[in-house]
Amino acid sequence: MTTVFNSSPAERVASPLPRVDEPRRADAASRRVRHPISVGSTAVLLLGAVYCLLPVLWVLIAATKSGAELFSTFTFAPSTHLFDNIVELAQYRDGLYWRWMVNTALYAGVGAILSTYVSALSGYALAKFSFPGKGTVFKVLLMGVLVPGVILAIPQYFLLAQMGLTNTYWSVLLPQIISPYGIYLARIYAAAAVPTDVIESARTEGARELYILHRIAMPMMMPGLVTIFLFQFVAVWNNFMLPYIMLGDDRLFPITVGLSGLLNQGASQPSMYTLVITGALLSIVPLIALFLVLQRYWRVDLAAGAVKA
Amino acid sequence: MRRTLRLGALATAAAAALIMTGCAPDAGQAGTADDPVELTYWAWAPNLDKVVDIWNEEHPEIQVTVNKQDGGDPAITKLLTAIKAGSGAPDLIQAEYQKIPTLVASDALADLADAGASDIASEFPDGVWDSVTLGGDAVYAIPQDTGPMMFYYRDDVFQQLGLSVPTTWDEYAEVARAVHTADPSKFLGTFSANDAGWFAGLAQQANSEWWSIDGDAWGVGIDEEPTQKVADYWGGLVEEGVIDNKPMYTPEWNAGLNDGTQVGWLGAVWGPGVLSGNAADTAGLWKAAALPDWDASQPSNGNWGGSSTAVTTQSKNVEAAVEFATWLNTDPEAIAALVTETGIYPASTAAAAGALTEAPEFFSNQPDFYDVAAGAAASVAPFQYGPNVNVAFSAYNDEFAKAAEAKSRQAFLDALTAMQTITVDDMTSSGFTVK
Amino acid sequence: MTATVESAPVTTRHPERPSRRRTQARRALVPYAMLAPGIVLFAVFMAAPIFYTLYLSFQKEMVEGLGLGSGSRSQVFAGFENYVSALGNPEFGASVGRVLVYGLILVPAMLGLALLFALLLDAKRTRTRAFSRTSIFLPYAVPAVISSLLWGFLYLPAVSPFYWVFEQFGWDVPSLLSSGLVTFAIANIGLWGGVGFNMIVMYTALKAVPSEIYEAATIDGASELQIALRIKVPIIAPALVMTALFSMIATLQVFAEPTTLRPLTNSLSTSWSPLMLVYRDAFTRDDVYSAAATSIIIALATFAISFIFLRVVQRRAFGQED
Repeated sequence: MTTVFNSSPAERVASPLPRVDEPRRADAASRRVRHPISVGSTAVLLLGAVYCLLPVLWVLIAATKSGAELFSTFTFAPSTHLFDNIVELAQYRDGLYWRWMVNTALYAGVGAILSTYVSALSGYALAKFSFPGKGTVFKVLLMGVLVPGVILAIPQYFLLAQMGLTNTYWSVLLPQIISPYGIYLARIYAAAAVPTDVIESARTEGARELYILHRIAMPMMMPGLVTIFLFQFVAVWNNFMLPYIMLGDDRLFPITVGLSGLLNQGASQPSMYTLVITGALLSIVPLIALFLVLQRYWRVDLAAGAVKA
Repeated sequence: MRRTLRLGALATAAAAALIMTGCAPDAGQAGTADDPVELTYWAWAPNLDKVVDIWNEEHPEIQVTVNKQDGGDPAITKLLTAIKAGSGAPDLIQAEYQKIPTLVASDALADLADAGASDIASEFPDGVWDSVTLGGDAVYAIPQDTGPMMFYYRDDVFQQLGLSVPTTWDEYAEVARAVHTADPSKFLGTFSANDAGWFAGLAQQANSEWWSIDGDAWGVGIDEEPTQKVADYWGGLVEEGVIDNKPMYTPEWNAGLNDGTQVGWLGAVWGPGVLSGNAADTAGLWKAAALPDWDASQPSNGNWGGSSTAVTTQSKNVEAAVEFATWLNTDPEAIAALVTETGIYPASTAAAAGALTEAPEFFSNQPDFYDVAAGAAASVAPFQYGPNVNVAFSAYNDEFAKAAEAKSRQAFLDALTAMQTITVDDMTSSGFTVK
Repeated sequence: MTATVESAPVTTRHPERPSRRRTQARRALVPYAMLAPGIVLFAVFMAAPIFYTLYLSFQKEMVEGLGLGSGSRSQVFAGFENYVSALGNPEFGASVGRVLVYGLILVPAMLGLALLFALLLDAKRTRTRAFSRTSIFLPYAVPAVISSLLWGFLYLPAVSPFYWVFEQFGWDVPSLLSSGLVTFAIANIGLWGGVGFNMIVMYTALKAVPSEIYEAATIDGASELQIALRIKVPIIAPALVMTALFSMIATLQVFAEPTTLRPLTNSLSTSWSPLMLVYRDAFTRDDVYSAAATSIIIALATFAISFIFLRVVQRRAFGQED
């Protein structure tokens, strides 16, 4: 770590005058044009990137191996079976994997859109209106953040069984529309991004409240709403327990539950490691694409209000 | 708070009302080709849907849909949850034998005796039939396959080291020592704390009585002489270090099967599927033999796995379901399809004989594979499972994992005691009469 | 709907509008109407299940005789029995202890690294920022079930590249899944999946700081490190508090990683974490009543721990709202 961390506060206090040594001056001079590279901090950051990419690289390489090679050749030695593995995966139970992909897109995509809308409604109402019970409603909703999904899954199953909805798309979609975390974020975004006088002037113009919300407030909140969408998308995508309990028909499974099933076949069946690894790789690809496309929206302002004060 | 509650009640009531009007209950009449009886079937055996397709083609009046499950445990978990919830269960379910008492105790399985299931008792060995009747008059399932245990070993390594196939557990220990001494990275097998069914099979072979029914009371005999003998034996080998202590079915174990560090495996008749799936390149190097015995003069064996076809109490078409399940597990065409498509070892002995002639491809070097299997199946000892096998099995996982990690003989015996205590405590706290 | 754009700057042009009072009355209902979908969904899919869990926690199932056949089981009121046995269960205490250790390893490591990476991303002299930011964030997209599976492969000596390296050097490293190291192994999976998300949260907060503040400090001769520690870190303190809160909640709820790794090793029990204990009771042991009681205890403990944080957060984050 060379430049960023090498001037200690003590040194600063000792020599308050601008430094005279050559490289530093060069630094200062070029700062206005182009900042010089800090090798140390770049290296640290790259190290972090390598740590995070290594297992992904492993998936990529492992997906190129045949079943036997997976357990016999060196871990990071690639092989040539990627295409065979994809074909095998595509043919597994008549292309069931693609159906899992579509299901996942449906649960996570549609679920996240609905969730974002409901969060925006609630967050906007909580941020921009004062009404009796506001504090209580927010606190109760916020408590939902604290309740783990594992605990909710069983009673949710009982409830949906009463409605006859278990083992349907609804059983996975409906419970995940409500997101206390999304409401919390939406409230912050609405408070920070939608000026109250804009709402007021629209009202005096005679605009309806829903019109204000849809045409004025939501566009202002859009970057935040995209974040909520992505956030909820990943949350649904990651939620294993709910679909695992709700669904009995593997044609309704999302990818996570489907792949986990290929692994846990019971004692009398071998685990289908190659299929699982190839499936995991293919499932990460669209998510990476989504991330890259929308990455400039990833601004999770957990406490933006305080900063903007 | 109050508002949210009332809204919740309202929403639930509204939803319930919708459901009431939404679907009329199935009257359970016999189906016709135009208006067939629809049955759902939760099963995890691979390619079972292909066997069911044969039925569906021949029987337009009873159409069966297979919902593929992730192995036996998750399917049963889901079934029990659905039973508690009052809806959501399938008509038919593939149930392992050890799950039947639990399912019966939870009132999840319909009694099939009056629906024609009693008539086919003679198709199956008595021991197998007992495990679907629990020794009473009711019939809770129709046996599908069994899993007599077998000993698989790397023939090439055995020949290389000049070892002969162990027929008793003493010989097995000797061979284990020889293998490990010749190459310290190699093991003849592993003690897997993750596979309770495997240990139960070994205990069954030793004539253990983990559960027993005595009038109106249950007996629990896990921590008794026969199983203590088994635990002590394995604890000794693990302590000595000549047997591996890591679980089976891990990437590490698979690597061991591939690179030859796992020289043997105490598996069951369905083993070829596992071996070919995990270590395809070792085909032709393995051979199968009977499980080593405690007493060579009294051959005995245990089951690991094996399952039945049961009808749930939520099914509205019990008769149609029994008709299908009977066909699936006794009809020669169905049995033949089960063997080729799903690779199971059929429970119906009469029908199996015709279907099991050629050795599995992975064992093409051993043409008499199914003769060895038949011998293994013939000597299976009787074994009674209890109503909380799930508790006992999860106690096995936890307690024997600790013991295997500790690598001490005494820890294995302590683990067995803990397993007994946890099992009995669970039964008494639930209100079972335990003697 | 009237357009608002073209109209002249608005004052109260129709102060005597006859419908004003009705409009106001209707407006008072607006926030409730907007909250209605959220509240209904919350009531049905969160509140109702929670109350049902509460109800179940005071029930138990009693069996008669052999417990075979229909009608041999009945649900009866259990009082606090489930709570007493849950709190008295040594497995529960042990699982809480393990999770506390896990949290003590994970939360400081994850937040520390996330802060470091966020500051580095915010430092103008760091290169490869876009690449690194995306790379570090990427694991967040990998579901815990899959990340645990692939880390499992990287942990097990027989298939791990790390052990291959160790072997080349002749080092004898114990299995990362052995009982002494398994907590670190699980914490590493949590770190891998979580550091990127927290980094983005902090980085977002840093980006929101007006750059004049930094420029002023730079003119005053402060070094980048000084700016980072004395200006940036205090300014994003609210974000740090929130990430700490959510990380702690996630820590208490750790479930998927140890559950996926458990079959691979002898050192993880079915009750390793409190939620695994709940899962085992509910699903493996088919005892939803004990599981419900344990769930309620965990939820109450989470509330207690979060309460202080929530107060801080609410004061800080929503202080200036109308």
